[in-house]
Amino acid sequence: MMISRLLHIFQNTPLGRETLLQAAYFTKKLRASLTIYIPRHIKFLMYFDNDVVQVDLDHSYLVSPDTAHDHAVEIAREAGVEPSFIEPKHFTASALPDIPTDFDYMICPRSISNLSSKLGLGYIGPKVQSIINTANFPVLIASHVYKPWKNIVVFFGGSANAFNALKLGFLIQNITNFPLTLFTYAETSFEAYQKEIADQGVEDELGLRVEDWQFFESGNLTDYLYNVPHDALVILGAFNHGLIRDIMFGNKLEKIQTSITNNLLIVGSRYSAVG
Amino acid sequence: MKPWIYPAQWALFKMDDRLLMMFIGAIVGTCSGFAAVVLNHSLLFLLEWLSQWRQHWWAFILPAIGAALSSLFLEKVVKEGAGHGVPEVIYSVSRYGGLLRLRSTFSRLVSSCLTIGSGGSAGPEAPVVMSGSAIGSNIARFFSLNDRQRVTLVGCGAAGAISSIFNAPIAGIVFTVEVILGEWTALNIIPIAIAAVAGTEISRALQGNQIVFSHKVFAIDMGDIIASIGVAVFTAAAAILLTHGLRSMHKISGKVRAPMWIRAAIGGSMVGIIGLSLPVVLGEGYHSVHTMIEGNFSSGLAFVAIACLAKIIATSLTLGWGGSGGIFAPCLVIGSLVGLAYHRALSMLWPSADWVNEGCFALLGMAGLISGMLQAPLTGIFLIVEITGGYAVILPLIMVSAISATLCHYIEPSSFYLKELVDRGHLLRPGTDARVLSDLSIKELLETDCVCVSQNMSLRDFVKIVENSRRNYYPVENDETGEFVGMLHLDDIRPYLFNRMLYDAVLVGQIMNPHVATVLPDEDLSKILRKMDSQRLFSMPVVVNNRFVGMISKATLLDKYRKELMVQTSF
Repeated sequence: MMISRLLHIFQNTPLGRETLLQAAYFTKKLRASLTIYIPRHIKFLMYFDNDVVQVDLDHSYLVSPDTAHDHAVEIAREAGVEPSFIEPKHFTASALPDIPTDFDYMICPRSISNLSSKLGLGYIGPKVQSIINTANFPVLIASHVYKPWKNIVVFFGGSANAFNALKLGFLIQNITNFPLTLFTYAETSFEAYQKEIADQGVEDELGLRVEDWQFFESGNLTDYLYNVPHDALVILGAFNHGLIRDIMFGNKLEKIQTSITNNLLIVGSRYSAVG
Repeated sequence: MKPWIYPAQWALFKMDDRLLMMFIGAIVGTCSGFAAVVLNHSLLFLLEWLSQWRQHWWAFILPAIGAALSSLFLEKVVKEGAGHGVPEVIYSVSRYGGLLRLRSTFSRLVSSCLTIGSGGSAGPEAPVVMSGSAIGSNIARFFSLNDRQRVTLVGCGAAGAISSIFNAPIAGIVFTVEVILGEWTALNIIPIAIAAVAGTEISRALQGNQIVFSHKVFAIDMGDIIASIGVAVFTAAAAILLTHGLRSMHKISGKVRAPMWIRAAIGGSMVGIIGLSLPVVLGEGYHSVHTMIEGNFSSGLAFVAIACLAKIIATSLTLGWGGSGGIFAPCLVIGSLVGLAYHRALSMLWPSADWVNEGCFALLGMAGLISGMLQAPLTGIFLIVEITGGYAVILPLIMVSAISATLCHYIEPSSFYLKELVDRGHLLRPGTDARVLSDLSIKELLETDCVCVSQNMSLRDFVKIVENSRRNYYPVENDETGEFVGMLHLDDIRPYLFNRMLYDAVLVGQIMNPHVATVLPDEDLSKILRKMDSQRLFSMPVVVNNRFVGMISKATLLDKYRKELMVQTSF
């Protein structure tokens, strides 16, 4: 079986250390390989199948470039993972490298939100959102501090992306053997969800891998999120509501991110690695 | 998503995707045409608005302010690198199926308007090409078209833009296939032609149908045709000088430890200082070209020669120090100055000879410089014929373009647009070996049906595995760590195979080859092939973080290579 690879953009700061530790833990649990990119430029391009995304980093990604490589190796090895590094081979412009996109996962840090960070990595702002929507790999939004997860929670709402998230949950459960719980913030009846699951042909696997299915028919989103175990890896499908609706009513992903501190693995519509 | 978003699903276009490309090509051409007209009008407005201050001594700071604002806009607002953009379009077509950023649809329009409108020596054509190509690319993305269709639409955008800005549809088509795409096929030429027509029609509807540089009829005789060889030589020299000037200025400015916008301002102020005494170097310079072609440029030979040199320096300063714009318009100005200077030198040497009007030589000079600079003789010929309406001069035009392009190619094997891409190995034209290899990834060539064996496995157990397997190579892994430790080929066990006594005594780890050359999943295929050839290997293991992930073999590579080549050359 092809070893899956996780892309990590290294930030040589205390926050970056926490994110790298989280990346190392994730790769260790999934028996994946950790690939690190140490940025030398403030921006880079990611060419996907049908789109190109420019990622604009904040200046903290470029601090202490002399020690970045050694720090990254030290942190990863400490966590029991041997990292590999990528050096951009192609440049769209002299200061604009192209980063490969043939990865299975990508990790993005979760920074304290401020308006300036909305344009960069570290916030489920437009940039990370566009990576999620365009990439054929899921994006792991790490918790603020290194936080090993011991169980898996899938937010399942019945959409196509939610089914992708569910299948990814099955895959991770299969590799890690951690208990898998389904969370549903009900918009329709339990029977309707069961029927959809049967239609998608995942009924058997659901019975085999899901330990518990928590079904919330009343209460608000915060109550629902309060029940998520603090040490769970939360897998969820991206919500595509469009920019206007996001601006008017806020982004659901942002609400979830600000409400729970768990590691979030977000699956976009182009994710097709499983199922 | 609603079905209407995907025209490919419309019944009309399901019959033949060429109809779809023609339909979307017309949309792209129209949008590019609009972009060109908008830039043209914005430039005229800015030039006119700033003209009231041009006569002041401090007017030299105007190009500095324009270049600085242009750089700030590109760097801080849209966060895009500087440059005119044509190499970026070619790079994207070569390597990423024409994917271009959405912001590129407008970024260069704004930045080049600031640079040129304030007096910087650059042209609006390349930014408009960038914008048109990005429009094509993003329309293709919106409609979820495939790579081949997207590249065609990028070409449509470029063709629409050039056609619109010069009111020259044939030049738009020729420039696209000769410079941007590097190929023309029955499938892409029709949408590109339609886009060129759409772009031209938009320009004619909004700006009127006029020849950009109209002139009187030239009566050319054999003496003029022979003399035009000299124009080709001098324009080739000017093209080389301009190419070197641009590169050296870029290198010099790169060494200055200052923010990009400061560097752009320095370059702009130097252009402004030159412009105080030689206003001909400022802006796009079309007015000067018009005067020269009409034969009304009154200054003497020395002034023309100095102006030519000054324009080369001003263009190098503007673009090399961070201003935004293209080289088309400066090439037209420099080319016409070279032609004019050459004509005056001829008239001085042979005053009794009956030379054609100097405007004709200015026109030939433009063709020579464009052809030499872009190493695209057809673009030079058709552009000049269309923008001057000068079909009468077609014979010397062809000769000058061909000779200039050949001479430039001899001295500089790659054109100004392609030099950097060729140096970095990024120019991958369709159907070439490099392009086919770059379009294949190790992931799709990977053979994962290999049977991994343990290094502590006995030969007896290994033979049992071989009995049930069809492969010749077996990766060997460490029992405890799962790390890849070597390879075992069937040839390696042959000496022990017929001696059953050894079956339990010999372990796989003892007879495997631990010094195997491995490859990484992100390695270039051309590099891997070279490695295979030099070490006479037919297959190699792919290893990530000391873990075996699969094999890559020449047989699979050849199979996929043929399929990819057929895809690239089948239309």
